[in-house]
Amino acid sequence: MRVVVCELSKAYGFLWALRDLSLEFRPGECVALLGPNGAGKTTFLKLLAALLYPTTGEIELDGEKLRQGSSHLRSSIGFLSPNQHLYENLTAEENLRFFNSLYGKGKNSAEMKRALDAVGLGRWTDDAVGALSSGMKCRLAIAKWLVVEPKLLLLDEPYGVLDGSGVDLLETYLKKLCHSGGIAVMATHHVSRALALCSRALILHQGRLIFDEPRQEPWENLQRAFGEFLPRGERWRS
Amino acid sequence: MEIVRQIAWLLWKDLLLETRRRESLLAMFFFGTLLLFVFHFAIEIPPDRAAEMAPGLLSLAFVFTGTLGLTQLFQAERENHCLEALLLCPMDRGALYLAKLLFNFLLMLLIESVVFPLFWILFNLSSWGRLPHLLGVTLLGTIGFCALGTLFSAATLRARARELLLPLVLLPLMIPVLLATIRGMEIVLRGGESYELLPWLRLLIGFDVIFTTVGFLIFEWVVEA
Repeated sequence: MRVVVCELSKAYGFLWALRDLSLEFRPGECVALLGPNGAGKTTFLKLLAALLYPTTGEIELDGEKLRQGSSHLRSSIGFLSPNQHLYENLTAEENLRFFNSLYGKGKNSAEMKRALDAVGLGRWTDDAVGALSSGMKCRLAIAKWLVVEPKLLLLDEPYGVLDGSGVDLLETYLKKLCHSGGIAVMATHHVSRALALCSRALILHQGRLIFDEPRQEPWENLQRAFGEFLPRGERWRS
Repeated sequence: MEIVRQIAWLLWKDLLLETRRRESLLAMFFFGTLLLFVFHFAIEIPPDRAAEMAPGLLSLAFVFTGTLGLTQLFQAERENHCLEALLLCPMDRGALYLAKLLFNFLLMLLIESVVFPLFWILFNLSSWGRLPHLLGVTLLGTIGFCALGTLFSAATLRARARELLLPLVLLPLMIPVLLATIRGMEIVLRGGESYELLPWLRLLIGFDVIFTTVGFLIFEWVVEA
């Protein structure tokens, strides 16, 4: 999968959330999307997921423009959101079965059970999602994308509610995804974690792309560019 | 047929959620029967005037009950941003519209199957033989109500005070289908000729076909706006 973003802008009324973003994601890249609150990170992810449509500019997936109605392209896009996107009154297994069917993946019960086991929810298969903790819901959302197998996975603040083993689980999955030629784009404020994992970093500030570099050792440019946005108490050394 | 499979799964999800939550069905059922009892105590229908009065009262009960159901139609999708999850899926938005329309239609059918006989009993109406024909006219009216209602329920999804906004927007547009249903029911109840009924049936069928097609085609723009 190859993603090309060309002069992408998005305005909410008179407010420009993103301005003239042009970049390209290549197969196997794991990208950290950084920036302060209100920089346009979530808007960018939602544009990539075709949940929003650009005011100007365009996004191409494997040479095909992403636009309203191009539903077949969505089968290769996953979005791990802090809102989890799960039905509270369905069980963990029913949620997986439902989304597996809508994505037309045709996975059987055993494969879904394996995905639930892989995220540590094997014992909670028949429990309603509403009864699960936030961390477990996040694990279930990861299981959903394990089943659906998107080529482009977008992650919005994935570390928020996960415990240590949950973070390990997520990072193992992302490494596997990128190793198999997929692309992961992760918006987060956990800078040190994201930079330890990702092969490229982007920094958005007031809707503009102010930094875009592949991983380097040492990464002094990033240090300079991002230093002022680091959350208090967080230290990062390349 | 990919779209049929997707509609089936969406409908399965809605029915499963409704059997667990029972919010819409119970609220609609109680509201519908409550309205009938209020009508029963407030209005006395002489048997010779039943054909004139019953259709209006019945339609009023269905419209109010149906509107209550419409406000809850996308409730499950509002929790945990599940509408976003559905919009992420590689499916035609029309499939979502048709699945919601079918679900709403099934709820209305369940309510009507209780309210109709109850109305007959409460108002001591004798023309039981005309009930199947009356159900036929009501069925066409219900399809029209669900077609337009589902579309506007989605259109007002992100609106503030949508419970107020939905009936205000919906009811004026519903006038043709309401008028045709009431007139059709009145003709059936007084044992009128089929040539009298035909124009109203045509209007109902036309309304159903047009708004179901329009809803299917424009739902993408309505739900993603």
